[in-house]
Amino acid sequence: MAKEPVRVLVTGAAGQIGYALVPMIARGIMLGADQPVILHMLDIPPAAEALNGVKMELIDAAFPLLKGVVATTDAVEGCTGVNVAVMVGGFPRKEGMERKDVMSKNVSIYKSQAAALEKHAAPNCKVLVVANPANTNALILKEFAPSIPEKNITCLTRLDHNRALGQISERLSVPVSDVKNYPDVNHAKVQTSSGEKPVRELVKNDEWLNGEFITTVQQRGAAIIKARKLSSALSAASSACDHIRDWVLGTPEGTFVSMGVYSDGSYNVPSGLIYSFPVTCRNGEWSIVQGLPIDEVSRKKMDLTAEELKEEKDLAYSCLS
Amino acid sequence: MELVGGEVHYTFVIQKTMVLLLCVGLAWKMIVYMCNLLKIEKEPIRVLVTGAAGNIGYAIAPMIARGVMLGPDQPMILHLLDIEPASKSLEAVKMELQDSAFPLLHGVIATTNVNEACKDVNIAVLIGGYARKEGMERKDVMSKNAAIYKAQASALERYASDDCKVLVVANPANTNALVLKEFAPSIPEENITCLTRLDHNRAQARLAEKLGVPVSSVKNVIVWGNHSSTQYPDTSHATVSTKTGDQPAKELLVADQKWLKNEFITEVQQRGAEIIRARKQSSALSAASAACDHIHDWFLGTPKGNWVSMGVCSDGSYGIPPGLVYSFPVICEKGSWKIVQGLSIDEFSREKMDDSARELAEEKALAYSCLNV
Repeated sequence: MAKEPVRVLVTGAAGQIGYALVPMIARGIMLGADQPVILHMLDIPPAAEALNGVKMELIDAAFPLLKGVVATTDAVEGCTGVNVAVMVGGFPRKEGMERKDVMSKNVSIYKSQAAALEKHAAPNCKVLVVANPANTNALILKEFAPSIPEKNITCLTRLDHNRALGQISERLSVPVSDVKNYPDVNHAKVQTSSGEKPVRELVKNDEWLNGEFITTVQQRGAAIIKARKLSSALSAASSACDHIRDWVLGTPEGTFVSMGVYSDGSYNVPSGLIYSFPVTCRNGEWSIVQGLPIDEVSRKKMDLTAEELKEEKDLAYSCLS
Repeated sequence: MELVGGEVHYTFVIQKTMVLLLCVGLAWKMIVYMCNLLKIEKEPIRVLVTGAAGNIGYAIAPMIARGVMLGPDQPMILHLLDIEPASKSLEAVKMELQDSAFPLLHGVIATTNVNEACKDVNIAVLIGGYARKEGMERKDVMSKNAAIYKAQASALERYASDDCKVLVVANPANTNALVLKEFAPSIPEENITCLTRLDHNRAQARLAEKLGVPVSSVKNVIVWGNHSSTQYPDTSHATVSTKTGDQPAKELLVADQKWLKNEFITEVQQRGAEIIRARKQSSALSAASAACDHIHDWFLGTPKGNWVSMGVCSDGSYGIPPGLVYSFPVICEKGSWKIVQGLSIDEFSREKMDDSARELAEEKALAYSCLNV
């Protein structure tokens, strides 16, 4: 017997990440090959015609799993009954804009988005914020949608996670599916013919691992923009699917992934921030992998990023006042 | 053991049987476990995508890498080809594919060298072509594309794998495929096809929408002819699955015969233009998806009782002149397609099918005249 369809909302659906993401959802990549879906696509009024064009193409593709498409510029209609919400819509930074301006615009978007989701989404709706600044947008969403359980509000860091796996797999010339458990290289492992080996041992180049590798991953987004003249859409969409799929269907045994989640103080990361942690997922819930040893280099970097998130939080709140 | 009465004997037998079943069950589980350990991953298949830095390429690459085209357990190596001016964008596509950590994607070759791109490929999806620009005459577009597909033909013939399956997407798709076939004589002609699956999917979806049923309930629409405005979307053999079995679509639409013969046909024929009006760009998502469907069904077989539309080399079936690449209803099995024979063709259909064949003959003549110049 066929499953009941799941409603998936994609905001900013007329943009290029949306265009890459919707066929992936409709093919079952996000929720599994036997899970029918109804897509809710939301965008702003200037994009209404383009949005309708995307709806037409989704219909033209005759996807067996796609049981309906709602294409709308009305946030209430967009959010009604949704079980999964992928928030791609946001205000991108334009040349000459100050960080405060970008923050200010996105903060008001996510405040109103929060109200709509809280009132109209299905209970237990799982939320993934993609639009940058992702962590802080997710935090704002959480603050203004208090009845959405805080564990249901996450942000995308799976793209960075996947990029790191890609870099390691290339460095070691191994298939990317053999590299796993990456929140950082200290815990990552590679499946070899003689069992699992730590990445540090196989790479044998701490200088690269502590230096160039990290900066390559950190700046990969900019490298893509330089080459494409547009930001990553294909890989962002794919990672968003991975994030939701593992959250809903569970992570494979013995594997952990990275998700931006509400900090509970684990690893001395201040609570009250949306911070990327290593997690495993089971029965539709994520839990932070505990007990990983943290060396001095890692501690410094982890604290640095927590600092930055605290500053962003303060900036966001000042915009709202 | 002492036997005390018949009942004890039965208990003994039941106990022994249960122990035996338990042992068999455990042994079976062990065998399955060992077999899984030994499961050897399939050899990767090489898939070429030309025009890979463009919009359709960007949409199709992740679809292929996720297993939509070849199945969830078939690894692949992607060969991405585009022209020199697009080499930076092409490199960025390769980077994004790496960044996605696709388990099935065992390698990416991004190149502007056609020979390197064609080397050992088992599947070739030819999206690259010369797009019509404003003010261009049909002859100009045809001329540019005929030259491109002639060159593509040589490279594929020399370097691709012997069993290479080719799908031409770039328009004029049928005639580009024909030129390819003419200049790659050692590629078996049954391995050269063009995409009409997009029109087929559009027709299926439009019919499902009219009937108010899920798209997967509708099957066996046909798109005949040229992937152009003379294509003929034919519902006379389409069926809809209902609680009482498969019913002919035209019986369910008895009051809409006029619609089936008029608006339905023009809507499907002009859908491409409608998308361009809304998006300001031509269809990429649905074209990429249809290309995956075309290869998937060709490679893995059509579901029983279902046929699909493919642009293939005509063998004279249904009175269509051989020597044209024409869209027919086909079923696919064991990696080969076969035209569905014996379908009744009424007068209305006959006229439309012949119109499209005539247009293809004209395109063929035009293409050849361009090549002789």
